[in-house]
Amino acid sequence: MLKKIFNILYKDLKIDLSLKHLFLSVALYLVSAIYIIYVVFDFNEIYEFEIWISLFWIVILFVSITSISKSFFHESHNRNYYYYYLFSPSELIVAKLIYNFIFLLILFFIAILFYSLLLGNLFLSKNFFLLLFLGAFSISNCLTLISAISFQVKRNSVIVGILSFPIIIPILKILIDISKVSHINPSWNVIENDFYILILINIIAVSLSYILFNYLWKN
Amino acid sequence: MEELKNLKYIKLFSVSLLIYAFIGGFLFDVPALPILNESIRVLYFHVPMWFTMIFLLLISCINSFYFISRKKIIYDTKSYTYTSVAVFFGFLGILSGMIWAKFTWGSFWTNDPKLNGSAITLLIYLSYFLLRSSISDEIKKAKISSVYNIFAFAMLIPLIFILPRMTDSLHPGSGGNPGFNVYDMNAQLRMVFYPSVLGFIFLGIWISKLKLVLNVLKNDN
Repeated sequence: MLKKIFNILYKDLKIDLSLKHLFLSVALYLVSAIYIIYVVFDFNEIYEFEIWISLFWIVILFVSITSISKSFFHESHNRNYYYYYLFSPSELIVAKLIYNFIFLLILFFIAILFYSLLLGNLFLSKNFFLLLFLGAFSISNCLTLISAISFQVKRNSVIVGILSFPIIIPILKILIDISKVSHINPSWNVIENDFYILILINIIAVSLSYILFNYLWKN
Repeated sequence: MEELKNLKYIKLFSVSLLIYAFIGGFLFDVPALPILNESIRVLYFHVPMWFTMIFLLLISCINSFYFISRKKIIYDTKSYTYTSVAVFFGFLGILSGMIWAKFTWGSFWTNDPKLNGSAITLLIYLSYFLLRSSISDEIKKAKISSVYNIFAFAMLIPLIFILPRMTDSLHPGSGGNPGFNVYDMNAQLRMVFYPSVLGFIFLGIWISKLKLVLNVLKNDN
């Protein structure tokens, strides 16, 4: 099973390297979104931590929804039939979960790079990078199944947004709360409860994706 | 149809409980508290709406699970019907809460974890209806929406049952209390409140069962 998962990951990586526009379009989307914030907001306003961090996570929200929706869409229907004979659904969903996580993580680091370049990096710390890691992990876990669902629907570009926004709101709220609180008081005690809830949400999301994808995949 | 079999008893039970709840809710004595005053009576009508909504959503989620394991389209129709009635009760809950909040908290909407939770719940289930309407094939629609329904309900559990209890809220039951106001409700309130909850839940079941019969007949034609 592990070998097959690695095969899928390797194949996805190869597709993304050969079709560079998939990654580059998301990256460009990200950079333009950040630039819009730079143009619109006053430099002094953005120097308040709450606004800085909230805007950052909102950019992250939009970028991750756009990028994750691509993870299933760039598969053609013929290729899906091919997968159907080669892999079991559980291998496929695990591979997609891992791939989306890595993809989002790379995007998030590009995002923080540009964001701090344009809007200042006063608030960056070591903890913040850990938080990015956690955020990429939870957002990719929640959105992978949603992307698989909306892949099966026609006119799916709207559907993926509608389905994922309400589910992602709690995670985003927790992430923003953690980043605000840990900025003021960077200790484990204050973020402990939020952290556990985030882990709980992740456990629910991963296990349900693993179980439910079986039913979604059979056609 | 088997759905119609026990319908009369459910109806009688729910209506008699609700008549009691309405008479008791408007006429019985309530504790006189500052700010709240007589508006405390909203407890008898606003809170049962949410209980009914969660209960119906749970039934809907179970039916979705039955659909993906047993592959019978009736379970999907059931789950759709229960969800639509649940969302109706959710809107009633929001409306009654908003009117009450205007007079006690001073504004229709506050940034309270429970309000956010209820708004997100309604958003999730509205997008569930949209997802259903965008697929034309019956079996595919049933399958995809069942998967989404189960996923969405599971994601609601931390949102509704855990998050509000950990943060400060204007609602009772926050900050680590057991969710419901065991400590801050007296015997007078409880005497009307519990029958009202039961009455509204059975009202929800009754409406759903009627609507289910209607939906099944529509599908057959």
